[in-house]
Amino acid sequence: MNEESILLFIKIVAAVLVIYWVSIAVSLIYRKIRRARLNKIEIAFADIVSRYLYNDPKDPLSLDEIKRRLVKVGIRSRNRNNIQFLIRLMIRTQRTILGRNFSKLQKLYTEIPPYGVSVKKISSWSWYKKARGIREIYEMNQSQYSDEIFKYRDDKNIYVRREAQIALVVFLGWGSLRFLPYLQRNLTLWQQIKIVEKLYDLYPKPELRWLHRAYETEKLFGKKLLMRIIRKYELHDEIGYIIDNLNHEDYEVRETAIYCLKTFAVSSSTMEYIKELYNDIPDATQQGQLLNYIYENSDIDLDFYLKQLYSENEELKLSIAEILWNNGYKEKVQEFYYQQYPKATLNVG
Amino acid sequence: MWDSGEGFFGSYYVYWISVFLFIGYGASLVTLYLAGIILARRSIKRTKQRSIFLRAEDIVSATDIPSVTIIAPAYNEGLTIIENVRSLLSMQYPYYELILVNDGSKDDSLEKLIREFDLERQDATFITQPIPTASVKYIYRSRQTKYTHLTVIDKNNGGKADAINAGVNFANTELVIFTDVDCIIEQDAILKMVRPYLEEDDKEIIGCGGGIGIANDSIIKNGILSELRLPSGLIPMHQVVEYIRAFLLGRMAWSEINGLMLISGAFGMYPRKRVIEVGGFNPKTVGEDLELCIRLRMHMEERKIPYKVVYLPETLCWTEAPSDYNILIRQRDRWARGLWETISLHKSLFLNPKYRKMGMLYYPYWLIFEFGAPVVEFLGIICMIAFGIFGWINWSFAILLFFAAYLVGCVFSTIAIFMYIKSFDHYTKPKQIVELLLVAYLEPFLYHPFLLFGQIKGYYKKFFDITSGWGNMTRKGFKVVKK
Repeated sequence: MNEESILLFIKIVAAVLVIYWVSIAVSLIYRKIRRARLNKIEIAFADIVSRYLYNDPKDPLSLDEIKRRLVKVGIRSRNRNNIQFLIRLMIRTQRTILGRNFSKLQKLYTEIPPYGVSVKKISSWSWYKKARGIREIYEMNQSQYSDEIFKYRDDKNIYVRREAQIALVVFLGWGSLRFLPYLQRNLTLWQQIKIVEKLYDLYPKPELRWLHRAYETEKLFGKKLLMRIIRKYELHDEIGYIIDNLNHEDYEVRETAIYCLKTFAVSSSTMEYIKELYNDIPDATQQGQLLNYIYENSDIDLDFYLKQLYSENEELKLSIAEILWNNGYKEKVQEFYYQQYPKATLNVG
Repeated sequence: MWDSGEGFFGSYYVYWISVFLFIGYGASLVTLYLAGIILARRSIKRTKQRSIFLRAEDIVSATDIPSVTIIAPAYNEGLTIIENVRSLLSMQYPYYELILVNDGSKDDSLEKLIREFDLERQDATFITQPIPTASVKYIYRSRQTKYTHLTVIDKNNGGKADAINAGVNFANTELVIFTDVDCIIEQDAILKMVRPYLEEDDKEIIGCGGGIGIANDSIIKNGILSELRLPSGLIPMHQVVEYIRAFLLGRMAWSEINGLMLISGAFGMYPRKRVIEVGGFNPKTVGEDLELCIRLRMHMEERKIPYKVVYLPETLCWTEAPSDYNILIRQRDRWARGLWETISLHKSLFLNPKYRKMGMLYYPYWLIFEFGAPVVEFLGIICMIAFGIFGWINWSFAILLFFAAYLVGCVFSTIAIFMYIKSFDHYTKPKQIVELLLVAYLEPFLYHPFLLFGQIKGYYKKFFDITSGWGNMTRKGFKVVKK
């Protein structure tokens, strides 16, 4: 290494520095121009939609005029980013409109550009484009492409399969439970939530036959999904499925069961059964959660609480002691305490 | 062999060995930074792409999302506590609780809180303590329905880590967020932070951090950052660049390869269950955030449970940076001591194949390049002076080499600033960007020497066993605009 090589190195590094300065400047200018362009598209689209939905008979808006205006603001096949932005606007607008105007808007979308952009994305090699294409199709309710989409429901990419699964729910409703609980790959928590939310939004009337058939699944994510559906739809008659999973061997299935159970009040006989299952739960934190549920939803069962107070879990004992103490059984807590520490004085209250 | 300092530093072999060691160290660091840029770029792109499929507005409307507890320890924060709590109570998340832990404050924090939020004292006898802490005196809850998600724990002083542990004990949610009470949290921060947990697939998320930004001289209105400004002082300005570089390049790069060993104590989310399993924060170190993250990772490695520690590129938490050299040095002194303590506590990790990449790669990186950098730099200065005195240095070559190293540093800072402005809308005015760049280029002369001094001071204290705590971190406070 000599001075010349260092000088050469300095020149290269300085050139890189200059390139980044130029990039920063270009980025700032581009952002400013881009923002103005997107603003133009947004204003034009808002105007088109409002005039189309509330057409003035004296000044009717023709399809040709709509297409001309869109081209004028930059909606051309070569401007992919502008088209993508327009699709986003279309989806956003559609979400906020209901009733007759919704059907009118869907008709408009079939007649104006972009044409078939979303379905082309499905055949892309990029997971990102593929998933976005699927999302656009179900958001725009283009059910004619459902067969194209469904084959991706177990795709190796989590985002592609997630969007395909939501498309299943959107297009098939409760019928999607024929497939969802039996998939090979795991359904993440968000995926379960999203499926339940979509199902509830689009198909608020429960179709129990699909639910009953799905109970046969042995997939853990399937069990969790079904319990979440029961919770969301407040299906009191199906609560048995949740209770049966309270002592499941899998931690997360138990966790979901306890979480879903909290939405429901149960009869005293069912509560007795839950108390029986309580001892089968191998995790103290989950036992504590179920204990809170039992306490909040049933009368004080002294035998049950005393049995737990004299059990081995130190963490739970304190919760049980608190319940007994606050419900008129101070002497029982003191009795237990003196047995533990005969020489101590209780410094409570 | 060397009978005097002159003999040692004047030795031809010592000179050349030193030169190659220092250049080798510098070159390795530059290579790692370059790799970091590539990884960070990839990580940011992927995070942005993924976020399209899980938008914050989708999460907020869902009914099945996990509940979260924010735990904020407070010690003598009476001056700003009401504003800060209001800020933490106004987050956009349907199911969250705030636990403020008053860690034996000697000022009127608690009285102010009781008055402002109409708090009612409750008995603390039956609190379970899976993590042992200093004793809890009372629990306070508001009588007003609008503050039902606020709990104040009043406990005896035990330090920051101990206060957070008390909050963890009391929380009953699946996820807990640790933050400093004087931080300004972005309104949608929890929505963004739960995203990785909702998307958790084959690997359990054991920690999630978000970017931390500097908000000195910015405008705070109703507990929300309403106008982000660049700080007027040079020292906080330097820290703006430093934080951009550290969070956007460093943390994102490590996140991409699941090599994150640190989630900043100012804002991090963890599963409560795992925090309890490892016994919470270690109150015996001042680097408790780094130490907890390492311990959590070790815990998962030992149990052979697949896990991930993730970072979000977005700035979700704004903090006030030290605004003068004395406070800055005290802060870096503390950070250096925290690093020393953590590195020595977990020395068994070093090249330990039982901990796989963590033992073979991440810990050695922290030891050699995070812990070692100030030492190497300090030794470099000593060697340069000594070799200069003994006439071994070719000054024209040395100056060129220094200039090359300086330019490389400038390039890294410029890339970080470029990536930041390309990804986020925080600093969009050309004047702000020019200022950021200028400050970045002045950093080696006006800022870095003080950091080095602070770090060496911290190491010195540890080496000679000089006791030192957190140190007094006086802050000016944000510019708060009332309603």
